[in-house]
Amino acid sequence: MADLDLVDFAVDYAREKGASYAEARYEHQIEEQFILKNSVLDALYHGEDSGIGVRVLAKGGLGFAATNAMTRTDVKALVEDAVKIAKAAHRKDPISFAPEEPVVTNWSVPQRKKLSDVPVEDKIEEILHVDREVMALKFKLVARYFQQANKQIDKYFVNSEGSKIRSFSPRVRMFYFLTLQHNGSAEQTSQNYGWSGGWEAMDELRMRERVIEEAKSMQNSLEHGKKSPEGKMDLVAGPQVTGIASHESCGHPTEADRVLGREASQAGKSFITPASVGQRVGSPVVNVCDDPTMEHGIAYYAYDDEGVKARRRYLYKEGIINEFLQNRETAAILGTRSNGAARATTYNVEAIVRMANTFVEPKDWGVDEMVEGVKFGVYMKSFMEWNIDDKRYNGKYVGREAYLIENGKVTTPVRKTVIELTTPTFWGAVDAVGKDLEIFHAGFCGKSDPGQALDAALGGPTMRLRNVYLR
Amino acid sequence: MEDYAERIVGRAIDLGCQDAVADVSVNRSYQIRFAQNQIVISNRWRETTASAFLVYKKRVVASDIKDFTRLDAQVDNLVKIAKASQENPDYGGIAKGPFKYDRLSVDKKIVDLSDGYDHVDAAVNGALEEGAKECAGSFWKYDEEHYLRTSNGVNAYDHRANLYLSIRALVSLESSGHAVACATKLSQFDPEKAGHKAGKIAALAKSPKSGEAGKFDIIFDPLIFGSLIDQVGGHAGAWTVMAGLSPFAKKVGKRIASEAVTLIDDGSADSIGRKRFDAEGVPTKRNVVVQKGILKTYLHNTSTAKKFKAKTTGNAGLVSPDTHAMVCKPGDWTRDEIFEECKDGLWLTNTWYTRYQSYVTGDFSTIPRDGIFRIKKGEVVGTWKDIRLTDNLINVWKSVEGLSKNVDQVQWWGEVYVPTFAPYALARKIGITRSAE
Repeated sequence: MADLDLVDFAVDYAREKGASYAEARYEHQIEEQFILKNSVLDALYHGEDSGIGVRVLAKGGLGFAATNAMTRTDVKALVEDAVKIAKAAHRKDPISFAPEEPVVTNWSVPQRKKLSDVPVEDKIEEILHVDREVMALKFKLVARYFQQANKQIDKYFVNSEGSKIRSFSPRVRMFYFLTLQHNGSAEQTSQNYGWSGGWEAMDELRMRERVIEEAKSMQNSLEHGKKSPEGKMDLVAGPQVTGIASHESCGHPTEADRVLGREASQAGKSFITPASVGQRVGSPVVNVCDDPTMEHGIAYYAYDDEGVKARRRYLYKEGIINEFLQNRETAAILGTRSNGAARATTYNVEAIVRMANTFVEPKDWGVDEMVEGVKFGVYMKSFMEWNIDDKRYNGKYVGREAYLIENGKVTTPVRKTVIELTTPTFWGAVDAVGKDLEIFHAGFCGKSDPGQALDAALGGPTMRLRNVYLR
Repeated sequence: MEDYAERIVGRAIDLGCQDAVADVSVNRSYQIRFAQNQIVISNRWRETTASAFLVYKKRVVASDIKDFTRLDAQVDNLVKIAKASQENPDYGGIAKGPFKYDRLSVDKKIVDLSDGYDHVDAAVNGALEEGAKECAGSFWKYDEEHYLRTSNGVNAYDHRANLYLSIRALVSLESSGHAVACATKLSQFDPEKAGHKAGKIAALAKSPKSGEAGKFDIIFDPLIFGSLIDQVGGHAGAWTVMAGLSPFAKKVGKRIASEAVTLIDDGSADSIGRKRFDAEGVPTKRNVVVQKGILKTYLHNTSTAKKFKAKTTGNAGLVSPDTHAMVCKPGDWTRDEIFEECKDGLWLTNTWYTRYQSYVTGDFSTIPRDGIFRIKKGEVVGTWKDIRLTDNLINVWKSVEGLSKNVDQVQWWGEVYVPTFAPYALARKIGITRSAE
């Protein structure tokens, strides 16, 4: 670790140079990735990313500068850069931050098995083991790509209002991509799971079982899958489908910076405006939350990258647009308080409004109960292709593992079921929400320029949608 | 910086590695982001990173090193990790140097440029003059030096500097246009032109109505066509093919596009992706990927080239091959002729969120954004919204009928990942879908 006094010095020096507000964030991230392609360990990546980012408000403008050279001379030059470019903005509407009380604290995520204690050989063996087991099924798995990735993130955040926060966040990911062929037809899957914590993730995430189950379902789909029916019918959406819809058509459109146009040129804007709070977008059984404090969700944090305490946010509550994701800048514009959604991927980029662990709040339905209530429809457990427009209104999710439901029973697999619906049509059709919450599907959420692909968990329970058009 | 690169390679070899590469890059880039016609933040970077690639008995380790006060200890740790790792039987070594490189030089006026506020103003004002109400985007001054050393005799230096501006102009939430400006010379940088183009599209895209599903002839503007070119370049990497992530497996020598289409990856040409060498130090060169519709080669590093019994194309990344800069060979149509030939179709200006149902078959969809125009007899007769291009990548490319004589250099946030020279294009009977009622 570098001399952390430099982080405090950066903030003091920025104030001395004329910043009305200053913050400095030092990060040291150890990252390792094990890349297994077709049973061969292609490469192992081990990197240590470290440095300091300084963000200042001066004359109503915002400046950010970053370096990995942790000397007093370099940090001084960095601060001078940040103050100079902030002052040069000449904004007609000065930027301000919503008020926050200073916080002095340390937080960390516990590890039952410390990542740093697990030998490289054991980590490699874990993915080799998964690969061996899936190959033992004797399916025609013509391409296999596994990536196991671990991060250990140390941060020290200081601001000119007196906040000083140290944190340690270990994270584990497992990604796999399989291509399975049968009788000249192919099925592909791409799955990503994540965990905040230590190497116990491998047991908790049950990766071996998941990969085996998935390969079996792919083979079943290729051997027995029928064309998916077209028309209006009921849909039972598994946790993975619920999760992606929560993220794409609820989390993103309620990001306040997007609502306010700050992301217009990149990730886009939103069909939601500040005046939309209180408007109906889903059925009364729909509560979509974003909660950084969800234990072991890959995006767990206790305080955000502006030093604001994290809490659960109800984005859609009983089907009504309820709350935006806010940082201090957006909160000031909208006359509210930050709800702790500011995050950055690394020290060298500004913290912006981000989702963390986004999910539909579970209720009390069992999956069997929901299926029993369907005369004819589709049970979509997972998806492959997906996308949504930049105002987050027209979403598409194409089934990977899906089955026909006939007279209350799950019957034959169906292939490539397409859900292509507007956001209100999708959420408005939900009539039942299950109790089987899963929060370990992990994504890399893309936003900002330079692009910040950030850890995000997407989850939820199984949900039932009535009378939606599928093809 | 040469010393750092030398030290990493030397120490790794001393510790028993057979191959070692170190690329020390010095980043002095600068960015201004704007939204609502005002600057929202300015960013400046002063960073030095050593990207290292070490191989011990075919055990491959890659890394990025940021803390140079612990350089030796980090190299020692990487070698220790390599020794504990597993052999990669597909590893085929790194290129044998030394090599000769073109004498590329950067525009000193770009290197000396201290800010970009005038360029942001020029772009925003251009868009506002066309009728836009709200502009957002980014101005970038990229300035990076690279010092490369390899254990196979490469000792190379490259300075890359260029300017880039991306602007989205909006008249309202659903009436918008997007354009970019790219230049390796300050005198050629024209953010005002980009602003005018984005503003014109936005103004023309007023009051869109929901589009319809079906098969349509499509005029692709260079920005969205750049995205489709990027899909070809990105999936032509040999590593991508081996991982099952490409529709081009076993298609070298076969038709993947219409005869009108020739696509080239060229890191040596004058573009904002220009670079002297790849990650192994191999000089970049012009590689024809698709010639008159036929896939000619995958993009290779030394290892994948050996696997495919080919020669490296000079596209090595740290682990797998990357594209540098794509070029679509211009056609012989004028822009007006392309529009005249579209009797009943659409003009798409931008897209995002391209995703695949199957990389093996190339079944995909992408969501047009910004101006979507209904074209009849070559004329704009209406504006659409809320549609999706849903088709197959190879089918789209086989459906390309005509390309314009003029190409624009484009690059954009994830969709056009590497700089790309793209023309206007006309493609026939492309699938369009939309959200169900």
